[in-house]
Order: sequence, then C-alpha cells, then structure tokens
Amino acid sequence: MTPKNNIVIGIIVALVVVASYNVDANPIEFAEGLPNLAIVLEEMLLVEPKYIPTALWAMFETIQMAFIGTVVGTAIALPLSMLAARNLNSKYVYAPVRALLAAIRTFPSILWAILFVIMVGLGTFAGVLAIVMYTVGFVAKLQYESIEAIDSDPMDAVSSIGVSKWQLIRYVVIPESASHLLSQILYMFDYNVRQTSILGLVGAGGIGFYIINYIKFFEYGKAAVFMLVVLVTVLFIDWVSVKIRDKYIIKSQHGMEVTAK
Amino acid sequence: MKQIQMTQNPSFSLISTNKIIQMNNVWTSYDSKNFALEEINLSIDRGTNYAIVGQSGSGKSTLLKLMNGMMIPSSGTIKIDYVTPNMDNKKFKKMMHTIGYIPQSLGLVKNITVLENIMIGALPRLNKIQSMFKQFPENEIKEAKRIISLVGLTGKEERKAYMLSGGEKRRVAIARALMQKPTILLADEIVSELDHVTAREIMNLIAEAQKRMNLTAIMVHHDMQLALEYANRVAVIKEGHKILEIGVEGDTIVDFQTGDMNTDEIMEMYDDDSKK
Repeated sequence: MTPKNNIVIGIIVALVVVASYNVDANPIEFAEGLPNLAIVLEEMLLVEPKYIPTALWAMFETIQMAFIGTVVGTAIALPLSMLAARNLNSKYVYAPVRALLAAIRTFPSILWAILFVIMVGLGTFAGVLAIVMYTVGFVAKLQYESIEAIDSDPMDAVSSIGVSKWQLIRYVVIPESASHLLSQILYMFDYNVRQTSILGLVGAGGIGFYIINYIKFFEYGKAAVFMLVVLVTVLFIDWVSVKIRDKYIIKSQHGMEVTAK
Repeated sequence: MKQIQMTQNPSFSLISTNKIIQMNNVWTSYDSKNFALEEINLSIDRGTNYAIVGQSGSGKSTLLKLMNGMMIPSSGTIKIDYVTPNMDNKKFKKMMHTIGYIPQSLGLVKNITVLENIMIGALPRLNKIQSMFKQFPENEIKEAKRIISLVGLTGKEERKAYMLSGGEKRRVAIARALMQKPTILLADEIVSELDHVTAREIMNLIAEAQKRMNLTAIMVHHDMQLALEYANRVAVIKEGHKILEIGVEGDTIVDFQTGDMNTDEIMEMYDDDSKK
C-alpha cells in the first residue's frame, strides 16, 4: 500500500463521514431501530395463506404488464438504436437521438409511472407506459453499444460492394448484434418484473399496490404473502432466463470464438 | 523449384492500352508524417492475374484499398477503368458493385447462412422488398447455386458461416465476390493462413474463375513462390515502395521495372520470402 493510496482512502472515508452528517445518517439510530424490525418480522410470520390466490393473480397481472412493456419498449428501442449508433450515422443524426435516450433514462420507472398516472389515470395502463419508457431508454442504449461493437470487417467488406444502408443493416448489423439482443431482452424482462412489482406504490397497478396498502395499514402478515410471491416469481424468472441464455446465447458466443481464429 | 532465368526488358510494360487500373505517382499516409505508400506507379491490363507481394507492413493491403475506393491517396491519381475511385463519386459507386473485395479477415457475416452471405454479392441488383424480406428472385438463386457448385460448397448452403472451416470460409468469400459478377477481384492474403494443399485448392479456384469470367484478379500475397506460380505479373512492395515488377512467362521471369534492379536482388527477395 503506497502513501498515495492511503491518502485516497482517507479522503473517501472523510467524505463518507461528512456526507453522513449532512444527511443525518446515524448508525446509532440503526442499532436502536433493530428491535422494530423484529416486531415487523414477527408480524410477517403470521402469513395469511388465504390471500395466496389474490397474490398470485396480482403477480400474473404484474408479469403481463412487464411483458407488454418489454415487448413494446424493445420494438420502439430497436429503430432508435440504429439511429443512435455512431458507426451507421452522421453526427447530426446520432447526437440528438442519444440525447433523447439519455433524457428518457434520467427518470427511474417510478417517476415515469407518476407522470403517466397523471396523464391516463390510476391503474395498470400507466404502469405499462412507464415500463415501456424505461425499456426504450435502456434497450436502445445497450443495443447501440452492441451495434458499435460489431466487427468492422464484415461491415467494410459488405460496404465495399456499394450496398444501401438498409441492406447493410439487414444483412450485417441485425444478424451480428442479434445474439446480444436476446440476452438484453431477457435481462430487461427480468428487471421489468421487479420494477413493475413496485409501480403499485404510486397507483400504477400491479402487485405493489397490495403490498403498499397492507403495509400502510400495518397488516404485515398479508403484505408478507404478496412479497413472498414476488420473491418466488423473480427467482423463477431468473432461473428460466439463465436456462434460455445457456441454450441459445452461449452457443452463438462459442460460434464467434471459433470464427475469431 | 523451377530454374528461373532473368532478362531485363523495360520496354515491355507500356504496349497494351487496355489498362483497367492505372496509378500515377500515388502517395498515401495514415497520418501527416509517415507515408504508407510512396511514389507508386502501376498499370494493370484487363484480364490479368496480378499479384502484389511484400512483407507485413509493406503497404500492400493499402494498395488494394486504394483500388476499391476504401482509401483515398494523399497525392497522385488513380483510375479504375478510367474512373477515379471515391465513395462520393456516383459513377464509381456504381462500379463498386462489380469490384469484388475479399479482405484478409474475409469479412463474412457469421450469424447468417452460406447462401445469405453469398447473396450479399447480389444485393445491388435486388430491389428494396426483395432484399428486406430475403425474397431472392429465381434467376439470382440459380446463379448462386451455380457459383456454390463452382466453389464446391454444394450441400452447405444452409450452414451458418461461423460453423465452417477456414478453407470453406474462403470459398464463401470468393463466391460472394463472384456473385457480384465482378470485372475486378481484389483479394488480400486470403490463403496465407491455410495449409499448403488447401491454399492451392483456393488458388486454383480463383485462377479458374478468373479465366472463365475473364476478370482481372489482383491478389496480395506474402509468399513469392505462390505468386509466381499463379500470376502473370508480380509487383514487389517494400516499405511502401514498388521496388520491382516482374512478369512470368512460362519459366522465364521478365523484369518490367525501368530502374536498375538486378537479378541477384530479385533472387534474394525471392529467397527471403519463400523461407517464411
């Protein structure tokens, strides 16, 4: 450990202390609050199984919202990502599109949900719109990055034939970036299910609506049923997407390694 | 190795007027100080099997890229079939459709099939709907099948490109170029990584296509022996300069360079390269 490193670590620790003071982050309060957690946990253990069907139905609704949001969001994101890729467009095209996408990503989905609740009223539709926006911002970014990472050799070889830009996109860009796309969509769906689970907090539908209401009325046992369903569902989706990834994506990555030689 | 007899014959080079490629005092640079190519003068007859030989970094790949408009010279003039190669030049852009270019890396699209890769060569002839939905017209499919059998890939049309062996990939790249109905075929060291037998199979394939379609093949090589075996003419590039241009006629090598190159130097170069 060099003296320079020590100074850097010292500065970081000092900043954490100062910032904690500024935001009233007090470890002592945390220690004092632990017994409260015990009370909540105790109440949560009084799980009320008769709410399981309602919870499952709410979860199903949540998954549907996430599904629509992911599919529609990706469909909007793809053309935008083509416009945002630096290796396909001039600066005058990609710069504004990138700025727009960055602006979309600035808001977390819950803020989009609030905005859409104001626009279209309470309910699941506002939640779906929020997920669409969030997906557009992220999938477009991930996708334009993978387009920019495409091997330049096929791009050059095919451009040298004098094909149109549409043909270049159809025959080189889409096939070469598609394997990343599947993995990105899976990731996004996985993430959107979790996001949609909390959108109910602002009245945008989904299972979060139940959770926040039961918590508000201190009915932790009922809330626990819904939270448990979210947990199990997210773990299940995670497991499924790992399986899909192994089956389709690892294979094509392997193919790329072979061709790289 | 064949016994090679050397003769000096500077007047031989300017007889034909049917020049498909002409380069006059061409200089290129990747930055303002270092020149990749210096003072290059070249003229290539239509229908020739031409080879450019040199070691790594000698500028031979750059020379090819000048011929298909992917690079613009810093100074000097280039004419491809009497047109200046430049992507912004509409006349040349049309010409690019019939200039086959195979980079050293081959530039295949890994995740599409052999047939689709080959069809890329026909894209300039397809309309928007046909190319967007991969609705290839009958005559183009027929042409593709013909070329596929010519390059020996029959039965592998539906394989993804990444599943192919090194030799097969080269066949696909050649087929893609032939699908362009090319007048010029540019190939950059496409056999240097192959074993002896496969390399010769690929070279024979190109030689046959070159004769059959009467195209001008310009191939960059690392290996002088291979170049002399297949080409009618060989230009030797060293550190950005064309130091030698020789023609091969039967067992005789004719030196076209007007400079004072001598036979010993050629042989020395020949030995240097064939040792690798």
